[in-house]
Amino acid sequence: MTDTPQDGLHHGMNDGLHVHIERLGSALHALVSGLHLHVPPGEILTLMGPSGCGKSSVLAAIAGTLASVSEGLQPLQLQGSVQLNGHELTHLPTHQRGVGLVFQDALLFPHMTVAENLLFAVPVSDASGNKGSTAQRQARVQQALQEAELSGMGERDPSTLSGGQRARVALMRALLAEPQALLLDEPFSKLDAALRAQLRPWVFAHVRERRIPVVLVTHDEQDVADPQRVVHLRATEESANHV
Amino acid sequence: MSAFVIFAAWLLALIAAVPIGAALWAVGAQMLDAAAWQALWADPQTWRAWGMTLWTGLASTALAWITVAHVLASGFIRQQLGRWLSHLPALLATPHAAMAIGLVLWLSPSGWALRLVSPGLTGFDAPPPWFTTQDPWGLGLILALWLKEVPFLLWVAATQMQREDLRRRWQAEYALAQTLGRTPAQAFAQIVWPQLAPRLRWPLLAVLAYGLTVVDMALIIGPATPPTLAVLAWQWLSDADLLTQTQGVAAAGWLTGTVLVAGVVTAWLVGAAPSRRMLGYGKRLIGVVLPHSPKDGLVGAAPWRRMLGHGKRLKLAGARRLPKAVFVGVWPPNVIWTTLLTTYTAVWFALTVDSFSGVWPFPQVWPELWTLGAWQQVASSAHTVWTTLGLGVASASVCLLWSVAWLELAPRRWQQALQPWFLLPLVLPSVLWVVGLYSLALHTRLEGQWLGLSLAHAVMVLPYVLLALVPAYQAVDPRQAALVASLGHGRWVYLWRVKWPLLQRAIASAWAVGFAVSVAQYLPTLYVGAGRFATVTTEAVTLAAGAQRSLMSAYAALQMLLPIVAFALAAWLGRPRRFEKIAPMKATP
Repeated sequence: MTDTPQDGLHHGMNDGLHVHIERLGSALHALVSGLHLHVPPGEILTLMGPSGCGKSSVLAAIAGTLASVSEGLQPLQLQGSVQLNGHELTHLPTHQRGVGLVFQDALLFPHMTVAENLLFAVPVSDASGNKGSTAQRQARVQQALQEAELSGMGERDPSTLSGGQRARVALMRALLAEPQALLLDEPFSKLDAALRAQLRPWVFAHVRERRIPVVLVTHDEQDVADPQRVVHLRATEESANHV
Repeated sequence: MSAFVIFAAWLLALIAAVPIGAALWAVGAQMLDAAAWQALWADPQTWRAWGMTLWTGLASTALAWITVAHVLASGFIRQQLGRWLSHLPALLATPHAAMAIGLVLWLSPSGWALRLVSPGLTGFDAPPPWFTTQDPWGLGLILALWLKEVPFLLWVAATQMQREDLRRRWQAEYALAQTLGRTPAQAFAQIVWPQLAPRLRWPLLAVLAYGLTVVDMALIIGPATPPTLAVLAWQWLSDADLLTQTQGVAAAGWLTGTVLVAGVVTAWLVGAAPSRRMLGYGKRLIGVVLPHSPKDGLVGAAPWRRMLGHGKRLKLAGARRLPKAVFVGVWPPNVIWTTLLTTYTAVWFALTVDSFSGVWPFPQVWPELWTLGAWQQVASSAHTVWTTLGLGVASASVCLLWSVAWLELAPRRWQQALQPWFLLPLVLPSVLWVVGLYSLALHTRLEGQWLGLSLAHAVMVLPYVLLALVPAYQAVDPRQAALVASLGHGRWVYLWRVKWPLLQRAIASAWAVGFAVSVAQYLPTLYVGAGRFATVTTEAVTLAAGAQRSLMSAYAALQMLLPIVAFALAAWLGRPRRFEKIAPMKATP
């Protein structure tokens, strides 16, 4: 079940995630401009920078969730393009992009058990359109629980899990949806140092296994997954006055 | 945002705003009648009634405000607030009219209070000819209003103080103030209360508006000669004579003006933002009028400055910084809270017992004869109960559907801009609304029709349902929608499987609040229903003027029971999911 469904499906177009941001910001204030990212499949790109530099907004632009991050009254808008494996995503709604998201808070749904949280993500039909049976979907949930070292805890109330356990469920949930790319928004920042050190290699190993492009946002140097692929964002100068 | 969503939001805004606007327009047009105003000024009752309105409304509001400050202070300092407030829903569910009737059962000359001490202490063999309930000083009305408004204000305060972010911050600041040498009471009075009080500004204004304009309670327990202005306006409005009716409209207008002025003054005392602007404006005005004044030297400016300065001090000494005694407590800490709970229990008890009472000669504490007669009478006019239920279910459901659709579809900016408009039915007098709604119903030929009446109820119910839902909607984490979409699910999956299930509790209780508000409607039911529809509330209030004590008690008990059933149903529907019980395991990381 850990195979990579996109391998070979889009033959010759499997060139990963291309993000081209000419300008990202509100009408009055540009947060990010002139940013180009390319993440090949199986690679993890780390996006770093001080708070307020627009790191999370870049992720929102890739995922198509800019509407939900606007802090003030001015909505954020993207001028540029997002391409994934040769597909143009820029104007697709989030749920059709195949881009997974993991936040610093695990955001497990509090009204579902751990297993129901995972099952929520398992697609009803597989990549070739065949409807998966309930038993097949349940089996995938059980396997994910095993990978997260949470076997037997599927019926638990998510609020009874520890921080590390919640983080692992959140990652597994994102992966069960079979995303073509994954975005990690400061996934370790709510955990203590020892837990982070344990969780990092586990997360990186799991996401690399899927052979999909991954973007990790952090402000902690220690979180860097691949020193070869680090992009530093600077806090933008006030561009409000020249509009 | 798609054009369809914008169109739908527009439509929703129109659906809610047009009836409110049309009702206000209709009543405004009727107010342009000089003869009516002349009749109003010439009527000798007007000024005395107005004085009574000011006295009862302002006194009950001030008392409630001081009480709430005291209860919150002692509850916060002793960390008992959560425990005390767990009783609040039952207090809140008691309708105003039922409370007033319950008090009458205790306080009237033939009530329990005197029976308990007669003839032993008083020597009375017959009820004395006292005005203990419809007393000419309005004390009974003030007491009844106080009893109803304190739980409401406490409930609003509790929703603020139990917000996780505020609770933590205030606890920390309160502890910090004590390390700086303040006593607990001082720390609360100087740190927590000044931050809490402005947040209670709008609920306080609603309390004030209610106290100044209440009709059903004032009919039952308020003074009669003269009554309050709201009751007088209501009497004039229901008069057969046309000029008297327009005089009633003018009185409703005068009452509205009174509410607005009292509201502005109160908001200023509690430290509302507009008042600060006005204060600044006043200072600038002086600068304009006396542009060349040296700094403080000019004679003309000094008194003005002093007045403004005095106003500021007054404001500080006023509602926001209450006297220290309020917080320290002249009384032992939970006396007030215990009094409140005891009174409510006594009222519920009296309503229950009286509804089963038969023959009951005066000094006896218990009835001589117990009977089911009153309840049988209620059962035989079951249509009253069905009307009440039908109106409540219809108006609460319509308002809930509208509110959910509005909060889902309308952009946040629209919501903020239009909210005050939708909340108008909360602050403007009901005597004003019924006039507007009735002429609206006349124009649309819906007067005296079930549809028209339920729409009139919906107008009165809407602000409450909206207010009950908004905080829950604001608390929704926007990242949750992004997360669900990133898992490949569309909007409807998000709404049906994540968002609405999580809001289930708030949605259920908003519906119950709406139902309770509809049940308690008195004026709209009588006026827009053209007297053709009887509900448990109209029956209870009408019977309060007569002598059928047990039947009145039965309807009042029913008036209380129906909302309680609705709240219980809502609590059951909104109960949190019970997960398999497992002791939380010490986590492997």
